[in-house]
Amino acid sequence: MSENIKELLFKIWIILSGATVLFLTLFIFGYIIKHGFQSINTEFIFGNPKGIPLGAEGGVLPAIMGSLFLTVIACAFASLLAISTSIYVVYYCMSKKIENIIHIIIQCMAGIPSIVLGLFGYTLLIVNLRLERSLLSAGITLGIMIFPFIQVRVEKAFREASSTIIESSYALGVSNSYTFLRLILHMCKFEIVSAITLAGGFAMGAAAPIILTGAVIFAPVPKSLLSPVMALPFHLYILIGEGISLEKAYATALVLISLLLVINIVSMILIFRKKGAN
Amino acid sequence: MYKLIDKIFDTVIKLLTLFSLLILVFIIIFILKESTVFFKEVSILKFITGRKWNPLKSPTDLSILNIILGTLYVSFIAIIIALPIGVGTGLLLSVYTNGRWKTVARGIIDILAGVPSVVYGFMGLLIIVKFFETAFDFPTGESILAGGVLLSVMILPYIISTCSETMDNIYKENLFSSEALGTSKIYMARKIVFPESKKGIIAAVILALGRAMGETMAVMMVIGNAPIPPKLFGRAQTIPSLIALEMGMVEVGSLHYHALFASGLVLMIMLLIINIIFYYIRRGIHA
Repeated sequence: MSENIKELLFKIWIILSGATVLFLTLFIFGYIIKHGFQSINTEFIFGNPKGIPLGAEGGVLPAIMGSLFLTVIACAFASLLAISTSIYVVYYCMSKKIENIIHIIIQCMAGIPSIVLGLFGYTLLIVNLRLERSLLSAGITLGIMIFPFIQVRVEKAFREASSTIIESSYALGVSNSYTFLRLILHMCKFEIVSAITLAGGFAMGAAAPIILTGAVIFAPVPKSLLSPVMALPFHLYILIGEGISLEKAYATALVLISLLLVINIVSMILIFRKKGAN
Repeated sequence: MYKLIDKIFDTVIKLLTLFSLLILVFIIIFILKESTVFFKEVSILKFITGRKWNPLKSPTDLSILNIILGTLYVSFIAIIIALPIGVGTGLLLSVYTNGRWKTVARGIIDILAGVPSVVYGFMGLLIIVKFFETAFDFPTGESILAGGVLLSVMILPYIISTCSETMDNIYKENLFSSEALGTSKIYMARKIVFPESKKGIIAAVILALGRAMGETMAVMMVIGNAPIPPKLFGRAQTIPSLIALEMGMVEVGSLHYHALFASGLVLMIMLLIINIIFYYIRRGIHA
């Protein structure tokens, strides 16, 4: 085969691949938006689930609120740990060996399937600590799931932050805590917030870890950390799995996807602003 | 005063780091603890080489070879489908996009990765499974193939981002000499970036394999969940879907309950190995 033909085939291959990915993305969103819009209305967003079986009529307000609460708890738990670990790895840890071990541990945590995290959350938080199936235990389980995701991105942001400012700060005898809280966090705030929102999106869409640790078929908007919650992905699964209502399932999927799109766009804008500022 | 704040800050950071790292240890210990109860009753060898899973019979048959094979089968199908598309897109992104377009393309890939697996499962059930049932007249569209096709879409973003990470570096390293020699972009993509990024592609495959094997909801909704020997056009079961489906109905402390932890342990060990391999390959690339 002549070089020209090979080159042409290669070109066709990469363009087709890119087109396939673009098409898939548009198709997935188009499909959900098109079908979802036909069955969504304000009553669906602001109402409680009704009907027999439950969910066949009415709305999903408790599930929306439940998902938002879960996401906030997961993000708070995960980002506290992730930022501390990143600070330790980048600025405290002097030994290459320890750094490597920490990286392997985080890679392994990232690789643990979400259902095994669900099992872990179930046995530790519910069977051993007797927390009940609740907002708190499901939120913590989701937090463990997104911790490695945030850690990797925050660490990268710290490493890319200009080291001259930090070195000058040390040279001037400025204290550790001031340097981190006022200088480093300030320099990296866009990346950190972007990483957390993106991770929040993952937490919001995950169903596997919360099936065992807190999500229930019906619960009102949670009043305390220890009450059980409804969550959008689990509600969607029940609507389809039990064959309750296809129409409501489309609408639930649309609500979930829209929340995630908002989150993703916010995260993207943050990165753009950072690039613009530089 | 500052010294005191500093000291507190240092300690807090160190404690939180230690705590984060201990989570992995806790996960392993707790899953292991619940599994050992099971392995006292049934030998490990029998558990992973036996073919029968029937928790309702008495005495129960609890062996998961069919389920392990189902998990691997569906993951391999997914990788075979997704790999060419993912590598092609990776090349396209590294060589032909830059600046803002690259950020937008990354954003699209992130959005695709962020679609919840339940939504994928929902669409897989309505589109892929239905398509197999009507177009090929299968008795049931729920099959390994349906799971594989669906999973291939789900792992695409991981393959693309891992590949293009390596490819970006190779492209940047060679851009100067390539421009000096006046070669075209497509020549560079084909003769330099593609062959040089072999390691990156292997890393992507390994990462994607891990993702595919651990995927729960989407696969569970389209694969039919029957613990029988897996065939391409037949129903099968994967370890995550087994746990998700049966955990809700077992009695805490029963043999069945511990058997589910044991299958979780098997899955976790496979994935830990895969991730350690991934870590070393990736470190090899960046070193």
